[in-house]
Amino acid sequence: MGEEIRTTVAGRVGSSIARSAAYGMMILFTGMTLYPIFWLIMNSFKSTKEFQVSQLAFPAEPTMSNYVEAWKMGDFALLFPNSIVYTVGATLGIVFVSLLAGFAFAKISSRATKPIYNGFVIGILITAQSLMIPLFLEVNLLGIYNTRIAVLLVYIGTGLPLGVYLSTEYIKSIPNALIESARIDGATFFSIFRKIVVPMSLPVAVTLSILNISNIWNEFALINILVSRTELKSLPLGIFKFSGSLSTDYGKQFAALTIGMVPMLLFYIVFRKQITKGVAAGAVKG
Amino acid sequence: MKKSIAAILLIALAVSGGFAQDKVTLTVMNYQQADQAGYPEDVKIWQDFQAANPDITLNIEVLFNDPYHQKLQAYAAAGTMPDVFYVWPGARSAVVHEKRLAKDLNQLLGAAYLKDFSAAATNPANQLGKYMAMLPQSYTYTSVMYVNKKLLEDNGFKLPKTYADLKKMVPKLKAKGVSVAMLPNKDAWPMQSCLFSTVVGRMAGDSFLDAVLAGKAKFTDKEFVASLQVIADLYKDGIFSREDVQIGYGEAAGMFASGKAAIYIDGDWRVGAYITDKASGKALIAPAAQESDFVLLPFPSIPGEKNRGVVSAVAGTGWAVSSSLPAGSAKEKAATRLIKYLYSPEVQAIRFGTGAYVPTRKGVKADVEPLVAKVPVFYADNAKTCYVVDGVLDPAVYNVINDGLIAIGLGTKAPAQVAAETQKAYESWLASK
Repeated sequence: MGEEIRTTVAGRVGSSIARSAAYGMMILFTGMTLYPIFWLIMNSFKSTKEFQVSQLAFPAEPTMSNYVEAWKMGDFALLFPNSIVYTVGATLGIVFVSLLAGFAFAKISSRATKPIYNGFVIGILITAQSLMIPLFLEVNLLGIYNTRIAVLLVYIGTGLPLGVYLSTEYIKSIPNALIESARIDGATFFSIFRKIVVPMSLPVAVTLSILNISNIWNEFALINILVSRTELKSLPLGIFKFSGSLSTDYGKQFAALTIGMVPMLLFYIVFRKQITKGVAAGAVKG
Repeated sequence: MKKSIAAILLIALAVSGGFAQDKVTLTVMNYQQADQAGYPEDVKIWQDFQAANPDITLNIEVLFNDPYHQKLQAYAAAGTMPDVFYVWPGARSAVVHEKRLAKDLNQLLGAAYLKDFSAAATNPANQLGKYMAMLPQSYTYTSVMYVNKKLLEDNGFKLPKTYADLKKMVPKLKAKGVSVAMLPNKDAWPMQSCLFSTVVGRMAGDSFLDAVLAGKAKFTDKEFVASLQVIADLYKDGIFSREDVQIGYGEAAGMFASGKAAIYIDGDWRVGAYITDKASGKALIAPAAQESDFVLLPFPSIPGEKNRGVVSAVAGTGWAVSSSLPAGSAKEKAATRLIKYLYSPEVQAIRFGTGAYVPTRKGVKADVEPLVAKVPVFYADNAKTCYVVDGVLDPAVYNVINDGLIAIGLGTKAPAQVAAETQKAYESWLASK
């Protein structure tokens, strides 16, 4: 009996130590994630001189002028709507085309399926940097340099490899019997796609949206190559105007970075439940 | 009466038609950073040109740092260079020089115009392609000691003239928590560009680097190893703190201004960080203190130096005109007008006034703060210059030197080891050419 109690107490002590250690680790990693964001926002309210003298203290004389100046100098009023158009447009395009292709690759077998599928998937290995000059030549050749359509097409194209891969693997888990019985009932492939595949693939569609929204919102290298007119540029290009290695005005630089970060933070705060569910569901087939 | 009025109107129409010009559109790539001192002035320079030249429309693309160079590479690959663009005289803009993507400004601007610029700026030998692809706006000294004279005097020290003078300051200043000299090297290039190049110039000389490039000398030769040893000694003797290797380039100016070091080593361009920011009205060092408490000096003499007092310097950046513009075309004329405006005494005076650089255009006067006014005096006092290492070597080689200087700073590599690695990198680069 005494031995049993000792074992139970020892077990409880052990589990509470393990729990404390786990919480400790989680608090540490949360701090490591949140502190830089907090530091950035806090310093965005300081003048550059105050920042250079004290980088860790709270602002003695908080100022909003950094935000006003950064907004004006970065042309953010022009760039913000562009970022929204590119992010929403390209994400919808990637999700739609990926599901269409995924359906074809997973459920409509043909001799061409494998090579075409592999052709898409190999794109996962290609970096944006290696595409920059060929894409620049291509959009010039097509006469769409400095247009929104070029940006959208390139973003959709570069998002497809991962999109097609995830969609195909996910759609493979939809029972073939469902598709076949719909075919027997005379449904066309597109109506099967619309009425069966899309509703059943919502988890992977959410996963794709989450991955692409943050990628496209922060994308810099390709759009820098694809447009030169300010009215077509996106937020990261405006923010980059404030992030040179010879910086002298940190206040404005931090304000610009905060402006670029806040929409993504809000997106995650508002949709956090859907995001968690989507990532978990999209990650596991079936 | 009616006939004569009609005739006058017709003549007026004909005359105005004759003088009316078609609008010319120029594409321009500007190198501009919004959080740098002088940004509002730069914006105004372009606005003023646009207002004064309604017959020219400027489509300006603004970029900075690597994205600027990536875009320029893309334009070069596609053969669609902008009409006017910003360019470096050396390897940073190699594609422009090697493919001759810019017009020869010697021919475009003419000798009569160029005589108002310093001889170093108009010498084609100072540019990679050995022709005048661009006109350097400045001639940059990459190694300047910003000395807090007051701090030294308060501690009983005179301005340092020799390495031994620096060494003497260490115990007293260190006890007070003040570094003798600071050179932030987290970004890897500052030590090479802002001090090591001068040290190589002093210990080995430009002739040594020429000999290496001609295959007649090696980086493992004693002159180069001795140059690396000087940097090692600076850390070993406590003149530099090993912590400086972890300090970012952007952070150090504020630290020096707040008295954390008696001496700060950087390029002449860094004066811009200390003067009054026109937008906020604030300065890291107040103008009165700039005048009385701070001086600009060359690095003191080093034991064993061959070339006394030389300081590393390089032709600065400038503007180029695309070689694709047809000779005599309206576009070429508009581009020439823009270039002449950008190099005009008025625009150069604005740049000088913001502390951006000391112009190569002769006789430019500006109402500048004391620290900026000290730069041309520094030039005059230190006329003997030497190469900047990253201006003559390929990135594949000078990046090894940069990394080696960090390792020396941390005390993890010996000078001879870094010299051997540099020689190996140079041989690999030669083999890959």
